[in-house]
Amino acid sequence: MASDHIISARDVKRRYMMGEEVVWALAGVDLDVHRGEYLSIMGPSGSGKSTLFNMIGGLDRPTEGTVIMDGHDVRKMDLRQIAYLRCHKVGFIFQTFNLIQVMTAEQNVMLPMTFAGVSDEEASRRAREILERVGLGKRYDHRPGQLSGGQQQRVAIARSMANDPDIILADEPTGNLDLKTGEEIINMLAMFRDEFGKTIISATHDHKMLAASDRVVYLVDGKITEIKQRHELKIEQGGIADKKAETKLSGRQ
Amino acid sequence: MREMEQIIILPYRKVLQIAWQGMRIRLLKTFLVTSCIALALAFLTFIMCSNGMVEQLGERASEQLQQRLAREGLLEQLLSTEQRSQTAWMLGIALMISFAGIVNAMLISVTERFREIGTMKCLGGLDSFIVKLYLAESLFQGTVGTTIGIVVGVVLAYVEGLNRFGSEAFQLLPIVTLVQILVISFVAGVVLTVLGALYPAWSAAKMEPVDAMRSEV
Ligand SMILES: Nc1ncnc2c1ncn2[C@@H]1O[C@H](COP(=O)(O)OP(=O)(O)O)[C@@H](O)[C@H]1O
Ligand SMILES: [Mg+2]
Repeated sequence: MASDHIISARDVKRRYMMGEEVVWALAGVDLDVHRGEYLSIMGPSGSGKSTLFNMIGGLDRPTEGTVIMDGHDVRKMDLRQIAYLRCHKVGFIFQTFNLIQVMTAEQNVMLPMTFAGVSDEEASRRAREILERVGLGKRYDHRPGQLSGGQQQRVAIARSMANDPDIILADEPTGNLDLKTGEEIINMLAMFRDEFGKTIISATHDHKMLAASDRVVYLVDGKITEIKQRHELKIEQGGIADKKAETKLSGRQ
Repeated sequence: MREMEQIIILPYRKVLQIAWQGMRIRLLKTFLVTSCIALALAFLTFIMCSNGMVEQLGERASEQLQQRLAREGLLEQLLSTEQRSQTAWMLGIALMISFAGIVNAMLISVTERFREIGTMKCLGGLDSFIVKLYLAESLFQGTVGTTIGIVVGVVLAYVEGLNRFGSEAFQLLPIVTLVQILVISFVAGVVLTVLGALYPAWSAAKMEPVDAMRSEV
């Protein structure tokens, strides 16, 4: 098995029953994720991004097909192995932040380390270090309710990094944020790829959030319709902002 | 294929620490839930104690008290069959209120945290951790709430007894009966609280994390 594929999904299907009606949220997805890449999953609402996200991260099991993570078949794992995977191998980021409301920023970041058996002193030291990295060094003692959306998402990013996982999975991480804050979040994820070689997988329906991607997977009705490399993406990004930047550049020449 | 490693099991001390922290920060809610348990138990113990006193009137009350009550027409009324069936009704209602009140309070307090349970599972929390967390929390709330409720209920029953029967109220209820009432109330209060919390916590814990996080309340 090629070791540069940190995740391999083969013919992954997920069925939901809506009463009598059968909905295939994923209708057979094949996907290889390279170690250290920033992969975006792009698709309209209801296309199956979250479902794929859940399959990849071991938050749900496929109806059919296999997900191999780091050489392990997710479907064959028992509860304690799945918990180990969620704790050590993957860091999750959600659209709605999902911080524990009764815990401070520091305690939120410490929680996965507690689950991993790290001592309080060590966990606290490391939590503050990561919070510093995401620009919240002074906010470690604040609870989610005392932080803005962007700050909460940065705490969530810090938490996802707690046990130094190989993979960071983000499901519409910018969905509840304004454009500028969203871009900051995306840049922060890209920083973790560049500096620590993390594999980033991020679902989005917003073209403006693709800028940092190495590859984009397009999902429609539970099927991958297209995979684009970074250089193909550049041409695609015909947003108004990009056009302006281009004319400015060419004007200067 | 090499074996995947397993997550460690958290020591109890750690679980208690997390449970305690949660209850402290959620002070108002902890207080409300505990009061709800206390209220239900106060009602239940009050009814049981005051029924117990009335039942003993014929045997343990002094001649004077019996005569006074008879003169006021109270004795006949208290020991009449209608009164007895009414008493049984009251006890039944007290039991039902305690049951519904406590189970409902715990159910709400846990289901509104389903998302938190799902999130904890995403971070590597085991089902057993979730169950232990809510076991610790509900044991604490159940014990404190039940104890307060029982004390209030017994005190109120004796206040009422003093009012109706004078100082003889203290000798009406045999010690054995009183102890029985205390034990039954305590066990009922704690068990109801713990089961009311554990049932939803356990069902959330064994869900896949996505399902737990999706169920909004
Ligand atoms: N728990 C569920 N029960 C029933 N249908 C679901 C459930 N979760 C997702 N679906 C359906 O699966 C499809 C894909 O959903 P989802 O993966 O959430 O899409 P996206 O994240 O791209 O918006 C949708 O049609 C949705 O209605
Ligand atoms: Mg989604």
